[in-house]
Amino acid sequence: MFSKILVANRGEIAVRVMRTAREMGIATVAVCSDADRDALHALTADETVFLGDSDPASSYLNIDKIIDAALKTGAQAIHPGYGFLAENPTFADRVVDAGLVFIGPPGDVMAKLGDKTTARTIMSDSHVPIIPGMTASEADPAKLASIAKEMGYPVLVKAAAGGGGKGMRIVSSPDSLAEAAATCGREALSAFGDGSIYLEKYLERPRHVEFQILADTRGNVVHLFERECSIQRRHQKIIEETPSPALNPELRAAMGEAAVAAARAAGYVNAGTVEFLLDQTGRFYFLEVNTRLQVEHPVTELTTGMDLVRRQLEIAAGLPLPFTQEQAQPRGHAIECRIYAEDPELDFMPAPGRILFARAAEGPGVRFDHGIYSGCTVPMHYDPILGKLIVWAEDRPSACARMMRALKESVILGVRTPIEFLLDILESKAFRSGDIHTWFIDEHFPGWKPDPSDDGIASLGYVFYDMVGPRPELVAAGGETDPEGSSPWRTLGAWDLAR
Amino acid sequence: MRYRVRINEQIHIVEAAPVDSSGQSVVTVGENARNVTVRIISPNQLHMVIDGAPVNLFVAPDVDGAWVWVNGRARLAQDADQVARRSSRGPGMGPSEVTPPTPASVVKVLVSEGDRIEKGQPAVVVSAMKMEITLNAPYSGVVKAVNTVVGAQVSPGQILVEIERDQEDLSNE
Repeated sequence: MFSKILVANRGEIAVRVMRTAREMGIATVAVCSDADRDALHALTADETVFLGDSDPASSYLNIDKIIDAALKTGAQAIHPGYGFLAENPTFADRVVDAGLVFIGPPGDVMAKLGDKTTARTIMSDSHVPIIPGMTASEADPAKLASIAKEMGYPVLVKAAAGGGGKGMRIVSSPDSLAEAAATCGREALSAFGDGSIYLEKYLERPRHVEFQILADTRGNVVHLFERECSIQRRHQKIIEETPSPALNPELRAAMGEAAVAAARAAGYVNAGTVEFLLDQTGRFYFLEVNTRLQVEHPVTELTTGMDLVRRQLEIAAGLPLPFTQEQAQPRGHAIECRIYAEDPELDFMPAPGRILFARAAEGPGVRFDHGIYSGCTVPMHYDPILGKLIVWAEDRPSACARMMRALKESVILGVRTPIEFLLDILESKAFRSGDIHTWFIDEHFPGWKPDPSDDGIASLGYVFYDMVGPRPELVAAGGETDPEGSSPWRTLGAWDLAR
Repeated sequence: MRYRVRINEQIHIVEAAPVDSSGQSVVTVGENARNVTVRIISPNQLHMVIDGAPVNLFVAPDVDGAWVWVNGRARLAQDADQVARRSSRGPGMGPSEVTPPTPASVVKVLVSEGDRIEKGQPAVVVSAMKMEITLNAPYSGVVKAVNTVVGAQVSPGQILVEIERDQEDLSNE
């Protein structure tokens, strides 16, 4: 096993990886940009290497700087987390060329699967069902238009190098195809460094169901069951759970086998996720393989009792999987809610800023993976995820109740978050019934507004905090004079409770 | 003391009697008088008992108000008498200027000084937290000034493109 690893990421996932490493007695190296000098991941690691400029291209996406940091600190392996360089085959190859271990699949496998069109060909050849659409990327608007016409609208414009809903647009009529293609290409180029796009037939109201897979270097491949990820906003998952309310044991077995077949067809090694769309009739189609640890991996950890980061490190170190498919048995129900800095009233617009106060949910069956603390800054340069609240309980109704209880215990003040929107979803009959699909939010929560029924109590809180709450220390203590007057809201310095 | 507290464009009028040494006060919210006992638990936590019902509140002061958390719902509360009215955030209102909704960096500038621009036409594309946002012209007119360049870091309130509004467009409203 390694004695020191570098985590080439930031935020909650970097902290999460470091926690397992620490439990395994492995020293950790963080990398951070200027904007992240005081970020939780930089404060958590045993060593921190500063990458400089906050722009992702000169920091978390800068291969030279990251490999250099690993070599200088004597790290033997690099964990890429998710996003940034996690699915960049050049990075995986460069890590290996530098004499280090990449904690993830080999670069060539990643390259094959990362190109969505190549992946579709591989799966199709191995009899894994795929969504009707193109198997090669195309830039010419005229050709795209004729293909779309043949396939029938609506179509989905997708980035060949894409993932996580970035660089993807639904196009319902020919007029908007060219612009959507251009925007996707541009987004893809900036997010993944590759602007190629292709078209896929768009399925109405499908479910997004994915399978966790693990493959070691000795040819053992297992799946760790499904995750239902249909609750999405802007094509990005916000609530995930396992097991999926839509699967029966037969369908689960069939999809699990397809996932393992997909991993084998690609020569997959390490942890990965095979994503499927499941239509209303119970037919499933291969969507893509995510060649990394997923954001939502904790729900699988809670139901299987397994630490997936530990498995990743063991596989990267050449160890065999310590269990067989038959030995993997899920238990109970787990749900994850993603908590972003975003405004659910403004189409989930990112809302960077400063977290003035944060308090985590606690108690039975609750886990909060996050990268925040009271007083930390949420920079505008990166993905706005703050953390993930995950609960486990015996069954789905108890897990829903536990998630609501945990969301109500979560306090994040200073930036907008979707916490109360998530609460409203969890409470809804539609969610409770398990009848969910990728258009769930558009269908059930269009133009969502916060419930004002506790606003009166909030206004009392404001008034009494102003009347009897803590005051800023007096000017006599040597502080600055507040030119705006005496309102405590205007001063953010030290507070004196003992007036 | 009398307060006008603004939460999400709604004004709550609160009259509160001074809090006595045991933390008790009588408040009037709208028409209703309530007995309140309040305790400061920590610099960010209040415990209140309102007409016998206990409630925990978390509070964090911000530059122009305070965030108040009740039962999983966070609100930015402001003293309506102290803070100048901010622009409405509701859908359908539409921004009145070409300005980013969140701190962002400029990806594309689609117009130049002197250009004719129609209402709803894309003027600038910005990017924040990996998402591209297109800023459209709020009204038709002629571009008077472009105050930004590709790569610039911009904030809400900063007018990126100034538009000389059409006279007939003005009279239509």
